[in-house]
Parts: sequence; C-alpha cells; structure tokens
Amino acid sequence: MGNRPFLRSALAFYTLLFISFLYAPFVVLGILSFQAGPEGGPQFPIIEWSVYWYEHIFGLTPPSRVAPLPIGEALIRSLSLAFMTMVTSTVLGTMTAQAFRRRFKGSGFVFYLVVLGMIVPGVLVGLGLALVANNLGISRTWWGTAYVAHVLYTFPFAFLVMLAIFNRFDRSVEEAAWSLGVTPMRTFRKVTFPLIFPGVLSSMLFAFTLSYDEFPRTLFAAGADLTLPLAIYGTFSVEIHPNIFAFGVLTTLFSFSILAVYGILMSLSVRRARRASIQEDIE
Amino acid sequence: MDASRDSNALSDGGSERATAESVRTEQAARQQARSGTSSARSTTAMLLAPGTIWMLLFLVVPMLMMVYVSFWTQKTFSIEPTLTVQSWVAFFSSETYFAALLRTIKIWLIVLATTFALGYPTALFIGLFIKNKTLQTIVLVLCVVPFWTSFLIRVLAWRPMLGKEGAVNIVLEKLGLISEPIEVLLFTEFSVVVGMTQIYVVFMVGPIAFMLSRIDPSLIEAARDLGAGTWRIFRTIIFPLSLPGVVVGAIFVSVMVLGEFATSAALSGRKVNLLGNIIVTQVGSLKWAFAAVVGVILTAVMAVVIAALLRFVDLRKEL
Repeated sequence: MGNRPFLRSALAFYTLLFISFLYAPFVVLGILSFQAGPEGGPQFPIIEWSVYWYEHIFGLTPPSRVAPLPIGEALIRSLSLAFMTMVTSTVLGTMTAQAFRRRFKGSGFVFYLVVLGMIVPGVLVGLGLALVANNLGISRTWWGTAYVAHVLYTFPFAFLVMLAIFNRFDRSVEEAAWSLGVTPMRTFRKVTFPLIFPGVLSSMLFAFTLSYDEFPRTLFAAGADLTLPLAIYGTFSVEIHPNIFAFGVLTTLFSFSILAVYGILMSLSVRRARRASIQEDIE
Repeated sequence: MDASRDSNALSDGGSERATAESVRTEQAARQQARSGTSSARSTTAMLLAPGTIWMLLFLVVPMLMMVYVSFWTQKTFSIEPTLTVQSWVAFFSSETYFAALLRTIKIWLIVLATTFALGYPTALFIGLFIKNKTLQTIVLVLCVVPFWTSFLIRVLAWRPMLGKEGAVNIVLEKLGLISEPIEVLLFTEFSVVVGMTQIYVVFMVGPIAFMLSRIDPSLIEAARDLGAGTWRIFRTIIFPLSLPGVVVGAIFVSVMVLGEFATSAALSGRKVNLLGNIIVTQVGSLKWAFAAVVGVILTAVMAVVIAALLRFVDLRKEL
C-alpha cells in the first residue's frame, strides 16, 4: 500500500488540507488581533495594523466604549488553582499507580472508578457537586468545590501516565536496593523517583494545563469568584471585540511556553540519566 | 548475587549451602514484595485509599445525589426533598426539551460521521504511508498542537471565520464562487458541527493512526503478491485491522460531544440547544430538580452509547 505513488501524494495533499483546517481559525484570529482600535471590529478588512487591543488588555489605552477584559484577578485564581490541582493529582496518580504494581482484589473496579473521572461530562460533575454542596450548606468556591472537580478530571490522566511508566521499568532495581538494606523511603528518593521522573513531569504538565483551561466543570462549581475561562465565557454572550482575540494569542503563547519549559526539563533529565549511566560504566 | 559469587570463590565446600540460602532469601523477598503478607496488603490499601475515596466522595456520591434530586419537588426558586416525578413528566411532555434530546443525538451522530470521514484519510497517511517514525511523530504532534490552546478560544476562533464578513465568505467571493456572502454559515447547526469537528477530530486520528502503524507491512505485500488490488487490500485487511482504533476514537468523540454545551452556545447564538445547554439554563434559573432530570437522561444516553461501542472492542486490551 505504501508504494502507490498516486495514492501517496493524494493523501499527502489531503493531510496538508486537513492540517490547514485545524490551524486556519487560529491564523485568522491572530491576524484580527492586530485590528485597529477602538473602532475596528472583530472582522475583515483590517482597517489599520496596530497593537491597540494588546495595550487594551493591559489597561494602557484611554477609556473607550469597549470594557476591559475582567482577567486580572481571574488569572491569579486560575494559576493558583492549576498549581493546587497539579500537585494533588500528581501525588494521587503516583500513589494509585504504585498500588497497581501489585495484583490486588478489586483492581478492575478501582481502575474504572478512576477513569470515570475523565469520562463523565464536565457539566454533570459540576451539577452533582453543586447539588451536594447546596444541600450540605457549603458555599461553592474556586479553591473548594472547583478544586475538587479539577482533581477529579486531572487525576485520571496522571494515573494513566504513571501506570504506563511503572509498567515499563524493572522492579528488580528496587528489590536490589531493599535487599542491600536501604530504607523504603530512601529507595523511593534515590532509585524509584529518578526512574519515574519523566512520568511525574508529564502528569504535572497534563494536570496544570487541563486545570488552567478547565471550563465545564468549573461553571457550576466555582461560585461567585470567577476563574479565567469563566471570565472569558462571560464576554461571549455580549458583542465580541478584537481584545478577546489578542487575549487568545497571549494565552496560547503562555500554553506554549509551559510546553517549552516541560521540554527543557525533560531533555535535562534525559541527559542527566545518560550521564549517570556513563559514569556507572566508567566505575 | 555478587555476594554469593564471592563466597563461591572463597570456600568451595560451603558454596552449595550459600547459594541455596541466597535463593531462599530472594524468594522470600520477592514473595513479600508481590503479595501475600499482610504488611504488603496494608501498604496497597494505604496507597489506594486517598484516590479511591476522592473519586467515591466527589464523583460517585454527587452523581447519586443528582439521581435523587431529580425526584425532588421543584418550587419557584428552591427545591424540597418531597419525592415526586413531576420534573420527569415535565421533561417528556415538553416538546422543547424532548427536541433537545433528539437534537443532541443528531449532532452527535453527524459529528461522529464527520470526524471519522475527515480523520480517517489523515490517519491512513500518518499510520501507513509515513515510514519514518520521527516524521510520523512530527505530523501527529502537528495535529495535536491546536488541542494545546484554550478550549474557549478555539471555539471563538470560528466566529471571524464563518461570519457574514468572515474569512470563508471573503475567500469565496474573491474566487468568484459566490456573489453574495452566505449568511447561514454562522449561528446555525452547521457552525456548531464545524466547530466540534475541528476540536474533536484529533481524538479520531490518534487511535486510528496508532492501530494502522501496527500493521505488519509484509501482510500487505503478501496480499499484493497474491494479486489483490489496492481497494481489496484496504477492504479486507487494512480497514478491519484499524477498526479497534475507530471504536476507541468514536468513544472519545462521543463522550465529549454528548456532554457539550459551550460550542453550541458560542457558535449557534443560543439557537441550537443541546441537553448540556438545557442544564445550564435550568441551573441559571435555579431549577435544580429539572436540571438533575436532564443530567440523568444525559448520563443514560452516554452509558448506552459507550456500552454499545465497547461491545466491539476490549478497551483495556487495546490501550
């Protein structure tokens, strides 16, 4: 099949079209974020190229009929929430996956119970939590109910990543450390953790990004103080302006910089592991 | 093991005993590590407890609560725990709400079809035609990158694309294909389907490409040597082998589309109401019992769909 030149180039061309379908809206959004302001609207043609809407986000423009995006405090809330979620779900994911290295009764039940967290639609998770909170008289907050909901969503990702990592590495390394009399805590720190570090890093990346961007679960669970996606959603119902496009460009750049940090840390850990193994060879 | 080898070298006489002993301790250590002893079992329980309790307490209990509340009595701005089927009757006797159920199913089926139709050829190219593993990863990553951006921004990005003065209309006019801008592109079911397809198609491409890349090339070669044409090879070998990928992709897409409300709210101008949208409006007007009814119905629909899809494939085996 692979050596049909016509079919091959036809499919290659199609894939190119497909990828441009995926990217086109972003390109258009990016272009329109440089629309002139404040009179330029969220559509073509570009009246004049400007960075007005970027300045508008940071409050650097004189007041106009376009209200500034309500993102200041929401951004801080979202970042704190993403950090809390990241730590909790990575710890829970690592612990649960560690337990799965041993066979135990009811492992199927626990597996599906955890995976359920990523399957159940966000709107239902939010609704259920809101109902329970209302009934118990607990007020809904971004650091309480919404945090709980975010961990429900990101913990399964961390669990699956860590499960894959634990499945791959040889447990005899740990057994060797134990039989040499190294304490379990020290074994974890010196042997297990360096081996699972790439998985931990990936879990953290998933959890942080998914939480930072989480919307449907947060909608009913966050209460009065909004997170960033909720604040953005609030501006959808009214007329949209190019400032939201500029915000889209900035938040995309932020996501990519997190990805870049992840890439750097990952390659550093790979290099360190390689150096360690070379050192062992020399000794 | 090193220790036993040393003792071998030192004294020939005691070597047998030393080896036997080391084997025995090793067996004991392994047994202790694997299972059996109560301390190992309690460690497992301690490791499992926090995650399991979190899921039971914050996911299972709220879902059961939702079922329970769906039978509560709805007052104007509050709910009371007096059991009734009033909200259930209201759902099925209202044309609007029943229509939302049908529309959800319709949009789900359309998006399932479009993600499959648009995604399969790309998956075919990535999984079967790109032989270089690095290049394969690069193209796949290229497809996944848009997923890395904010969900709401991804949805919103379709507005300047599809609007009356949007990019699509401008391009079509420049090409001379249309003289008047097409108005039905945005704020219709069409825009909702386009938006959802772009967001979720990646989940179809990934699993299919993965299954295709596992096909042994010699299988296809053998079929060709025996005189099978390209179409026949595809129909009898390639497609059946990619089917588990299609089912896994379909599960991903179904799970996400059925629970959707943001895309339909942002791209239909609130004209296309899915079950998710009904829940959001009902909660907005404090009709909790009614929202719970819709939630239970949505859960039931999803359970049926996933159960039906899982009949085709054993998820735990394939992943």
